[in-house]
Amino acid sequence: MTETALTITSILAPELTLCGVPGTSKKRILELIAEQVTRQHPELEEPQIFNNLVSRERLGSTGIGQGIAIPHCRLEGCQGVIGALITLEEGVAFDAIDNQPVDLLFALIVPKEATSEHLELLSQLAEKFNDRSFCEKLRRCETSAALFDAMTQTA
Amino acid sequence: MDPTLTLIGASMLVISILLSPLSSRLGMPVLLIFLGVGMLMGEDGPGGIRFDNFEVAFFVGNLALAVILLDGGMRTRAETFRVGLKPALVLASIGVLMTAVICGAVAYWLFDLNWMTALLMGALISSTDAAAVFSLLQGRGLHLNERVSATLEIESGSNDPMAIFLTLMLLALVETGSESSVWGAVLLLVQQFGIGALLGVLGGRALAWLVNRSHLLPALYPLLVVAAGMALFSAANGLGGSGFLAVYLAGVVMGNRQVRMMPMILQAHDGLAWFAQMSLFLILGLLVKPVDMLPIAGSALLLSLVLILFARPLAVFTTLWPFGFNRRELTFISWVGLRGAVPIVLALFPVMYGLPEAQLLFNIAFFVVLISLVVQGSSLAGFARWLKLEVPAPTEPYRRLPLDIAAAGDHELMLFPLRGERWGEPRPLNRLNLPERAAVAGIFRDRGCIAPSPELEVQEGDVLALFALSENLVELGHALSGRQPPQHLRERAFFGDFVLNGDALLGDVEQVYGIEFDELPPDLSLAECFARRTKGHPVVGDRVTLGPVSLVARATDADSVTKVGLKLEDSKPPSA
Repeated sequence: MTETALTITSILAPELTLCGVPGTSKKRILELIAEQVTRQHPELEEPQIFNNLVSRERLGSTGIGQGIAIPHCRLEGCQGVIGALITLEEGVAFDAIDNQPVDLLFALIVPKEATSEHLELLSQLAEKFNDRSFCEKLRRCETSAALFDAMTQTA
Repeated sequence: MDPTLTLIGASMLVISILLSPLSSRLGMPVLLIFLGVGMLMGEDGPGGIRFDNFEVAFFVGNLALAVILLDGGMRTRAETFRVGLKPALVLASIGVLMTAVICGAVAYWLFDLNWMTALLMGALISSTDAAAVFSLLQGRGLHLNERVSATLEIESGSNDPMAIFLTLMLLALVETGSESSVWGAVLLLVQQFGIGALLGVLGGRALAWLVNRSHLLPALYPLLVVAAGMALFSAANGLGGSGFLAVYLAGVVMGNRQVRMMPMILQAHDGLAWFAQMSLFLILGLLVKPVDMLPIAGSALLLSLVLILFARPLAVFTTLWPFGFNRRELTFISWVGLRGAVPIVLALFPVMYGLPEAQLLFNIAFFVVLISLVVQGSSLAGFARWLKLEVPAPTEPYRRLPLDIAAAGDHELMLFPLRGERWGEPRPLNRLNLPERAAVAGIFRDRGCIAPSPELEVQEGDVLALFALSENLVELGHALSGRQPPQHLRERAFFGDFVLNGDALLGDVEQVYGIEFDELPPDLSLAECFARRTKGHPVVGDRVTLGPVSLVARATDADSVTKVGLKLEDSKPPSA
């Protein structure tokens, strides 16, 4: 990579950090992600994001276990990597590998061209969310600002 | 009754049992310790006991092997036949024959034996030892991928009859000195295997039926099984069939049916099999005169090395190539040609037949077994790790107790201690994600019993007691898993971060991740992709590397992969 290496901190904006969202279903959460992302990036199309996220889920759930999910997709017309961090008020069924309801999500949307960065970031994210105490810290946050700080400080 | 005899015998058992923990500390098979105790107590050792009653040894040897095979059979899961049966049978027949012929040729060259007797020597040492292999693998908590473990398991259970057949046939040929009876040999083969197999299958069914119909004291069920097993063994031998094959098959048939009190039967048989092993090895150790082995040590060592480094690998690689094993798997199977009690017991046959070279054959067989146990036995676990054949395994319950009351169906009481970092923080019972048909019976904490309620929080140190079916074991094992396995076997390190469905298409995966798998067509599903690479029989842990990612089979249902792990970064594949 020529530019400065992508880190999790550099792809997450405070506006896309949502704390204690009332979740109802997996579909609703994915819709919410698409909606929030387009609000910040009006040049992107909401249905496109949603569809791409859903296509990825169709291949197999991105629920990686322990209540965590990392929905992700590539997107045409997307200029930079976009991250969104969400904690849910209550866990929702996500078909996760361990069947546990998911209450902590990090969505990752990358430009269509970004393939190796995509894989790199995904594994960085998974690595990070593998840390149990880190996840607990995120879950305990009560405001979106606190959540953003918790996520970015340790990065 | 001479009390000194029983005193000596019993003391040897006591010593062996007390010394058995040494095996894991020294990294040596426990069988070697039993054999060593026997030899030390024998006439050349400090024990100085003169024991040369080959008939008693022969009797004990046969009975002990039958008990061990019965136990091994009951633990063989029919599901493992899917991947293991065909390769194991080829290995147990053609493989054994090849090993016998190669070793026979080398023995002819090394020792002063005629052709027939040399081939007999080869036949004696041609079969691997189930008990030795499995006590080793299980003792180290090694979980090998199913293709390898199933093949080894079924092979070692089924190659003894072949070796016995070869031995008996060659003995007959050596005795009569004629080579005319090729027909006789074929007939003997058909008879041994036919009668053995028939009696085994029928006997196993009959025995299962008998156990299910009987109302006995719980302790008597295992004894019924072992007694009936021995009766079957003797009947098959009496009718000219292979008793060993019969008793092993009866075990397989029983172990895969609904049989009441099965967990209890298995538990008792575990003890019986240990007892059989100990008696067998102690008596064989007593029987041998180590001093007699010295003159042949050099040549016998050479024979062992040929067997370990050449004959077995050649047999494995030439017979198993059509079955979709990779090179690491074949290498390991070659190395696990562990010889145990069978060759020594077989070497008693020529003694019983009064063959002039019998003593020499016995000493050579004994020496080969010693070398195999030392060399292969002590390196097996490390070898399996090095070849990366281990797969993550779900936690097993600490204890399983059958309930044996009609109303409970097949539910068992299972105990799971909650251990490890994962249970550091308390979690309520209703968040444990237990299988639907499992019910928590109670929580044990500090010797007290707590009645379960959905909100009750459990944590490290608690013991969870629950009623569940044996088919829930895997799920329960995941939900209640305890200690972290070593780094490379943690789920995430092993299977990767993300999971794909087996029916997902390669093309769609390419699309989502923007990678290209040139070698394979995009309309292939991931499951088909694994099926291709493994000739139709994938197992958990199989790996397909495609460009920058690795796909790892994570769950299988019969012969199709249902869940696939997606490994992204530095997915350095073990060289296949």
